[in-house]
Amino acid sequence: MRKGEKITTNIDWPLFGVYLVLMLLGLTTVYSTAYNPDHPNLFDFSQKYGKQVVWLLVSLFLGLLVLLIDADIYRKFATPIYLFTLALLVIVLFMPAKFGARAWLGIGSLGIQPAEFAKIGTALLLAKYISGVNIKLQNVQTVIISNSIILIPMVLILLQPDAGTFVVYTSFLFVMYREGLSYDPLILKIINLIPGIKFKETWVGSHFIPIMFAVVLLCVATLLYSGETITFGFLPNFKIPGVVGVLLGLVTIAGVFLFLSRFIGSRRDRKNALFIVIIGLVLSTSISLGVNGLFKSLAPHQKERIELFLGLRKDDDGDDYNRNRAMAAVGSGGFLGKGYNKASVSSVESNHVPESETDFIFCPFAEEWGFLGAFILVCLYMFMLFRIIMIAERQKSRFIRIYAYTVAMILFYHFMVNIGMDIGFAPVIGIPLPFFSYGGSSMMSFSMFVFVLLKLDSQRSYILQ
Amino acid sequence: MNFDTRKYVIIAFILIVGVIYSIRLLFMQVIDDSWALRAQEIAEKRKEISPPRGAVYDRNGRKIVSNRTYYNLMMKESEIVNLDTVAFAKLIGWDVKRVKARFIEIVKGEGKYHNRHTNKTTSNYQKVRWYPFIKEMTLDEIANIAAHLGEFKGFKEEVTSMRSYTYANGANIFGYLSEVYKEEIDADHFYKSGNNMGRAGIERFYEKDLRGQKGIKYIVTSALNNDVGSYMNGKYDTVAKQGPNLNLGIDIQLQEYGEKLMKGKRGCIVAIEPATGEILALVSAPSFDPNLLVGKRKITKNYPKLARDPDKPLYPRPLAANYSPGSIFKLLQSLIALQEGVITPEFGFGCNKGMVGCHDHPSAGNLYDGIKFSCNPYFYAVTKKVLQQGKSKNNFIDAEQGLTLWAKYMKSFGLGYKFDTDITGLTSGLIPNSAYYDKWYGHHRWAFSTIRSISIGQGEVLLTPLQMANVGALIANRGWFYTPHFVKSIGKKGPLPQFKKKNITMVSAKHFDAIIEGMRRVVYVDGGTGRQARSADYIVCGKTGTVENKPKKDHAVFLAFAPMVKPKISIVVFIENAGFGGTWSAPIASLMIEKYLKGHITDTVKEKRMLDFNVYGTKQP
Repeated sequence: MRKGEKITTNIDWPLFGVYLVLMLLGLTTVYSTAYNPDHPNLFDFSQKYGKQVVWLLVSLFLGLLVLLIDADIYRKFATPIYLFTLALLVIVLFMPAKFGARAWLGIGSLGIQPAEFAKIGTALLLAKYISGVNIKLQNVQTVIISNSIILIPMVLILLQPDAGTFVVYTSFLFVMYREGLSYDPLILKIINLIPGIKFKETWVGSHFIPIMFAVVLLCVATLLYSGETITFGFLPNFKIPGVVGVLLGLVTIAGVFLFLSRFIGSRRDRKNALFIVIIGLVLSTSISLGVNGLFKSLAPHQKERIELFLGLRKDDDGDDYNRNRAMAAVGSGGFLGKGYNKASVSSVESNHVPESETDFIFCPFAEEWGFLGAFILVCLYMFMLFRIIMIAERQKSRFIRIYAYTVAMILFYHFMVNIGMDIGFAPVIGIPLPFFSYGGSSMMSFSMFVFVLLKLDSQRSYILQ
Repeated sequence: MNFDTRKYVIIAFILIVGVIYSIRLLFMQVIDDSWALRAQEIAEKRKEISPPRGAVYDRNGRKIVSNRTYYNLMMKESEIVNLDTVAFAKLIGWDVKRVKARFIEIVKGEGKYHNRHTNKTTSNYQKVRWYPFIKEMTLDEIANIAAHLGEFKGFKEEVTSMRSYTYANGANIFGYLSEVYKEEIDADHFYKSGNNMGRAGIERFYEKDLRGQKGIKYIVTSALNNDVGSYMNGKYDTVAKQGPNLNLGIDIQLQEYGEKLMKGKRGCIVAIEPATGEILALVSAPSFDPNLLVGKRKITKNYPKLARDPDKPLYPRPLAANYSPGSIFKLLQSLIALQEGVITPEFGFGCNKGMVGCHDHPSAGNLYDGIKFSCNPYFYAVTKKVLQQGKSKNNFIDAEQGLTLWAKYMKSFGLGYKFDTDITGLTSGLIPNSAYYDKWYGHHRWAFSTIRSISIGQGEVLLTPLQMANVGALIANRGWFYTPHFVKSIGKKGPLPQFKKKNITMVSAKHFDAIIEGMRRVVYVDGGTGRQARSADYIVCGKTGTVENKPKKDHAVFLAFAPMVKPKISIVVFIENAGFGGTWSAPIASLMIEKYLKGHITDTVKEKRMLDFNVYGTKQP
């Protein structure tokens, strides 16, 4: 900290505010969900909510430490931090398994998940590395090194195994994309092997990441609804095939973008946007139809395998149990919800939704507060994400910008997958809802993410690299 | 190269997800209710609470059918730990083998779940559910067991309600309850497996009233099927409502006395209040204690015994048995003849024992004496005048016309059809019409001489004792009657509408005087057949009957009402194979009348003689 400055100087209060609101909402939801009538005290440390209070206080304390330390160290010590977290990831593989995974480090019920903290290490090192690279001169080596920074912890995490966190690591690819780092050098290397071709750049190569994600999301969505018929409770005899529903969704999204494109300033950009939207709609429609057709033409056992992978088995009480219960809990909330502490499907006591205080915590929240609460929560996360992107874009330092983007994308992933599995849009992958789910490791690591960002941002006028 | 515009791609991604998720949430939570229904299916259980059945009172406000608390010994396998089978068997007084067999029975049978939609029965036994191990134990039976249940985890007692009868009488009036069958559950969704339903008598007829309204409690259940509290603090719960009380016209003490008098005899007594049509007593002999058929355990034990009994105690004779009415039928023949104008009360006919046998008595110079002597030839003559009125020259056509008219009269007396009333198991009796005889003899191939035995209540004519008693009531009323019925009022609603409708017979009131005078003479004039029914305190009008039942002994019938002015009771006593009506049925009828009108019996000698009389001879049932 520089002389004459208080730690509150230049802190981004909106981000800190929304962080605090989410933490407190999360705590109240844990209290309501895990409520034990024999131990009604919120500060009863034998209960999950009591422990959550401790985690919250510890997180805030860690945050305070972060704010007290000069932000320079994160850039300087990015490599040691990364290596330290990698070491933890290796050590954890030799620990006894808990819940079928070697993910916990510690004794008894007190333990931390190194995978949560490894994300910070990876984010810092990736930010440091990319900020030092001249993108214009990016080559195969840059692509390989930057990808290796991500891939090494990914592999270690997959060995635990922790599929959820593994998937979350792909969020770093978006950050690379934002910074202009792409797979283009690799693709060019291969394409230019063909005699007579000498590309300097390919469009697909430079936009490979978002395209890949869009295609993957579209395929998953199409497959999720491929075999289904969409019915409406309020229109009993009205049924549409699932794939038509997906196409309608695509048209709706295109419509939203067309509407938004009217606010684009220059006429040329407007034209371009219109062009992109139309091309995007045509392409995604054909992909969706293609995937649907392909899936339908598959042999039953192949279909089954894909369905299993997506958590799509139709047996409501069997393989798809968790998701079905979770969706029932969310759907039963209604507009205003059942009221605080009145969740009947997803309370820990009734236990229909498993892990309702950790991975499925959105269920009790949506059941108790209804659409109104759930929508406000979605808005809070949106606000937080856009605020972080705003913070990122105001940095002069590429290091901070890249770091900020990793924070945004990791939070976005957790938000998207966690809520997605409660509303039938994502396969059931156990990753926590940031600041909400019960659990020390995730709460501490997400807090660290935010506080490091707050600290870096508060010193943005000094850190220029 | 500037990559700043790429932030829009990322913003777009985030925005799309946010918007889609919001729309999806709106759809799932607000617009489409299928997920809410699924949640109900998963977490909410409707627990139905069956109210106790409505109670039944007699005409004097005595509670005759009520509910008593019984106890089921329940078991839940998941909570049973290290069951000491030997100690447990000892506690419930069973042997170990039976305990084990019962476990297997429960696992295989009790948990059966019948799916209405697929019509499949599957085993739905769940270890985490309570099942009755022993059903319907009395307080005494459970008391010893309950004290030690703490030692046996996974067992508990549960309260249930069953019928209890204050008097050991009226079994054929009340009927009984038993568990519903699969078909009944399908037909009426009110019932769930294990529920009881009225099987006979008023329990069956008033089933929908007595069963009350089920209460519904919504409870939240956990994934392990445990109750974890009420849903929405009981906002949608409804309270169970007990069925309304039934107030019967039955006088339970008269019923009890009637059953006592009929011990050792086969037959029945039916008593009706003429002014209202309310049944005062309906005795079917032999009878049984209604408490024998309470609960599954007792039904299983006692029902087969009752069903196999050669004297058919389960058969409700007063309603279902069709008897030839015998001489009491002569009263009706006279009424028709008077109304038709084919005779006057002064009509005399010499007893020539020509067409039919008769007992020795002086010739009847008028109708009163005809009734008093119950002269068979006299009533042949009377009935012939009705049936063969000479309106057609052809004897056969004349008889056909006469019979058609006669049958119409009989129908107006409540004969030949089933009453529209609250009595289950009624039969209609038989009043033959011309079509009936055409079938036997051919069209226009029969005349009075062919069918003459109906004149004296023999032959094809059949009546139920209830119809006979109703004949007494319509004579007492001088030409009208209310449909005989049990229930005076359902709760505060009053009787069913059809019981408030007067049935007017085709005979006008003035013609009844002669008949009633004749009936008085039967009892009070020397030489009358019903002298045994005499009372000094009020005038009893009666008519004896002795129904031929060859080759067995005759049935003894006595029909009476009393007092002669403003009659309060009409009664028929029908004793199978007892012989002459005046000897056995008349005294029993008189005892019943006295019991009803005075409340006590003065002639205890007569009472003892009647109690001792046994149609089985020395063999006591």
